Amino acid sequence: MPVTPPRSLTELFLGFLSIGARSFGGVMPWAHRVIVEERRWMSPEEFTATIGLCQFLPGPNVGNASVVLGRKWFGLKGSIVAFLGFFGLPFVWVLVLAALWTEVATNPLARSIVTGVAAAGAGLFIGTAIKLGKPLARKPAALVVIAGCFIAVGVGRASMLIVIPVALLISYLLARRGLL
Amino acid sequence: MSILVELGLYFSLLSLLSVGGMPSVIPEMHRYVVEQRGWISHNDFIEMFALGQAAPGPNVLISSLIGWKIAGVPGAVVTLAAMCGPAAVLSYWVSGIWDRLQGTPWRAVAQRAMAPMVVGLILSGGFVLATPGGSPDWRIWLIAAASAWAMVATKLNPLWMLAGGAALGAIAL
Repeated sequence: MPVTPPRSLTELFLGFLSIGARSFGGVMPWAHRVIVEERRWMSPEEFTATIGLCQFLPGPNVGNASVVLGRKWFGLKGSIVAFLGFFGLPFVWVLVLAALWTEVATNPLARSIVTGVAAAGAGLFIGTAIKLGKPLARKPAALVVIAGCFIAVGVGRASMLIVIPVALLISYLLARRGLL
Repeated sequence: MSILVELGLYFSLLSLLSVGGMPSVIPEMHRYVVEQRGWISHNDFIEMFALGQAAPGPNVLISSLIGWKIAGVPGAVVTLAAMCGPAAVLSYWVSGIWDRLQGTPWRAVAQRAMAPMVVGLILSGGFVLATPGGSPDWRIWLIAAASAWAMVATKLNPLWMLAGGAALGAIAL
């Protein structure tokens, strides 16, 4: 199936706008739908490689992808246009939602509902960790690093400023010995 | 120091630490804005997290909601820009050299080294969010466990899990 990169900055902007506008319940599936299936800007393989890079880098994955893809097609201008297109509508919506929330925040039922949503959201994090952790479960060293990070950050509430450098150093040494 | 400057500096730092995205830095953000600085309460944090999850868009917007709660609309703009900016600049720069590292052993080692740490951090995020004020509430744990199970065992859009959480919250909490 032939792929054609966006021809103009307007097309790039509108594409990322439609990703941001529709991404209820997760951005990545919509990014794939718009970029690969609807607009056919790139092949599924290229898309996966780009997302792989963005997961490796810090920052929001699809936010980073907007910068990386914008640069690939239009240079710095493309990065800025794609980034603004992607964040524009969700940013406005989330603030509107927050303003509406303050109207009902004292209602006990509204509070119960929001607490329930947050609990389910916490579960989504745990589910994500299980999914990502499955391929690592056969490596004892990986389980030790996972448990160490969880005890330090989750239970011990240590600062990530200390935990991340230490964990990265240990993991890097383990990975070089082929243990990860 | 103005609170906006402090928010900007702190979230810029978080931006560079957020390997694995927003879920990795949730525990650190909570530690700083709730426990260390006391800018907002645990309940405020949970509410903003829930709103951010329920709204469309990238979950990094949770940081702008936290900024909004702390310092209004300017706070929302500053935290979002700070949370995205440094990582975006890094992406812009690294995407130029990443392709050249393709297939090198260093890249493979770095990717393998990062994976377990990211899993541990995301797990911590789930734990902190489900443990209000450090005291366990079994109802919240049950909702979280059900939602985690649905995520692992089914291909449902996560919005269904959030809707289920809303319904269970209305009944049980």
